[in-house]
Amino acid sequence: MIRKQIIGLFVRNYTGVLQRVTSLFTRRGFNIDSLTVSPTNTEGYSRITVRILGDDEQLSQFINQMMKLNDVKKVEVLPESSSVISELIFIKVKINSEDRNKILTAASSYHASVVDLGETSATFRASGLPSEIDELVSRLEPFGIMELVRTGAIALHSGDECMADGLDID
Amino acid sequence: MKLTGAEIIAECLLEQGVDTVFGYPGGAVLNIYDALYKYSDKIKHILTAHEQGASHAADGYARTTGKPGVVIATSGPGATNLVTGLATAYMDSIPMVAITGNVSTDLLSRDSFQEVDITGITLPITKHNFIVKDIADLANILRKAFRIATSGRKGPVLVDIPKDITAISYEYEHAPIRTYENVTSSKNYEFEAVAQAIKNAKRPMIYMGGGVLLSEATEQLIKFAEKIDCPVCSSVMGLGGFPASHKLFLGTLGMHGAYETGKTTANADLIIAIGARFSDRVAGDREKFGENATIIHMDIDKAEINKNVKSKFSLIGDLKDTLTTLTALCDSKSNPEWLKEISDWKAQFDKTPEYNSKDFAHAYHIIEAVQKLTTADDIIVTDVGQHQMWVSQKYKFEKPRTWCTSGGLGTMGYGMGAAIGAQTANPDKRVVLFTGDGSFHMNLNETVTLKSYNLPIMVVVMNNSVLGMVRQWQKLFYGHRFSQTDPHRATDFVELAKAFGIDGMRVHNDSEVESVLEKAFNLKKPVIVDCVISPDENVLPMIPPGKTVDDMITEME
Repeated sequence: MIRKQIIGLFVRNYTGVLQRVTSLFTRRGFNIDSLTVSPTNTEGYSRITVRILGDDEQLSQFINQMMKLNDVKKVEVLPESSSVISELIFIKVKINSEDRNKILTAASSYHASVVDLGETSATFRASGLPSEIDELVSRLEPFGIMELVRTGAIALHSGDECMADGLDID
Repeated sequence: MKLTGAEIIAECLLEQGVDTVFGYPGGAVLNIYDALYKYSDKIKHILTAHEQGASHAADGYARTTGKPGVVIATSGPGATNLVTGLATAYMDSIPMVAITGNVSTDLLSRDSFQEVDITGITLPITKHNFIVKDIADLANILRKAFRIATSGRKGPVLVDIPKDITAISYEYEHAPIRTYENVTSSKNYEFEAVAQAIKNAKRPMIYMGGGVLLSEATEQLIKFAEKIDCPVCSSVMGLGGFPASHKLFLGTLGMHGAYETGKTTANADLIIAIGARFSDRVAGDREKFGENATIIHMDIDKAEINKNVKSKFSLIGDLKDTLTTLTALCDSKSNPEWLKEISDWKAQFDKTPEYNSKDFAHAYHIIEAVQKLTTADDIIVTDVGQHQMWVSQKYKFEKPRTWCTSGGLGTMGYGMGAAIGAQTANPDKRVVLFTGDGSFHMNLNETVTLKSYNLPIMVVVMNNSVLGMVRQWQKLFYGHRFSQTDPHRATDFVELAKAFGIDGMRVHNDSEVESVLEKAFNLKKPVIVDCVISPDENVLPMIPPGKTVDDMITEME
């Protein structure tokens, strides 16, 4: 079954690592929906979160291929049921007096708040599951989206489990 | 003690047991070559005509010894000339360490003279690569490079070193080689499940690949195959990993494998893939490959499992260990009926060939004649094309590490460099390079290297004056439209040999095959033997790409 899954990669942090990881996506034909990278609390290591589209077999190929990279220390699936997951969006929507209330109602039902106002536009900020962000975008679509930017999903395991657990950090 | 970066490189090579390096000097590696001058009594340097030749030589060195091959090239074009050699080694999992010079760190990223981003360029064709930007990291990066190249699934690693790093002095301390494996091995219950599947099988076959050679598991594989009385087919890469004269050995399978290997694959109820990766040249139709069989896949690389063909069971780990554990768990069995069925298939196409052409020598005739001259320890190298497939079909490889061919990448021009590496590493063995006129034209410049180092390689050119393999495909699939495969070249390889300062001979037809090859072989000097073969001799049988043994072509005009 083809579905979107979130994978976390614990990687060494130095110039060129992102290129190594992403060039492997292309080479092995993986379909990546989003990708985020940032340093972690472990010095010298970064965390990459990707949202990948594929079936279970493609997912296991993805994990096995990623694990072959020298700079990748750990790769884990972060299932929606046992992870905290969020994505951030800024979305700029055309505003006119007629639709104003409808737009605000739609936005507020996704806890989107206005962060900027232009002469004919409003920019909302919202966060939530990628699927919720998708819904927000489609709710606002009819009013005219001028532009938007999304961070891509980030995720951590729920509970006490940590990705760096048991890692041999050199 | 304080040493320059270049001297640290030399010391690190010695730490790793490197006795020979291949390469070509240039501006960015002047310091390294100055150190090599100083260390010339400990590290032998082979200068090739072109960096590509050096990269293939390092590959040939590695394939015939099991030790990592080392190649050194300068920045820019020197580094880019390694690309084909690295890609060749990467596809065949050959351990290599390439050291490239680069411009000084203050000139990096300014499009300086002879600057390229070689780590960027070689990213997809190396197992890993490094650029050294701090002399403090140099020794450890080199040690890591060797460890990565030789551990797990082997492969080439490139280390790019800016010129100033090779000049600065820094504290160096000798470190012994650290060997450790981080390969996961399968669990007991998985081994037991596999042993049970083997027990249940009535028509098992082993499909072995280059992994058997890389993990040096020949002895374990023979014991395993004998215990379960299982026929063995090999990929082109696996040749030599199981003795060809063994009664269980059937030869290569796949596109140009024999009829019986195709039938065995199609009719097997169990296929045990050992250090092989189900490439499209073996499993043309991924869905139909072994469709009547349960598939067991053993490999050191977990990512190979289910990559091309789905397997029911998999065992991950070093093949030596895996096979030893599995053999102990398996009951002895015998499969006389199955083996009889296979030998009946074999008999269908068994005919004694006739070699009596007055105009040409036959390819198989040439190969058989060379086989009679060589011993089981001698090394056979090929280029890529029809001659390569004929050798893979006909030559009987008895021992590991006697076979160098570009299996995965299919690199025409590979042979000369690889033969140089093989002969340098094995001065007491004979090395024969089979090549075609097309492949030979690509890198015949390396004949200078045969002469310079007096390498007694016999270069056997199967000269059909056309680009035979592509032409064969044009015959089969492109309505005989011979686009750019009949180049009308006038190269006289005998005269060419003389121009390079070595011997040259010609085989005009079948009647001269034995006598001329014997004379050439016994010279024990570098020699080119130009063998005139027919432009219409084809590689058969052939399973067309994407097809199965049912579509096998056994005859062509």
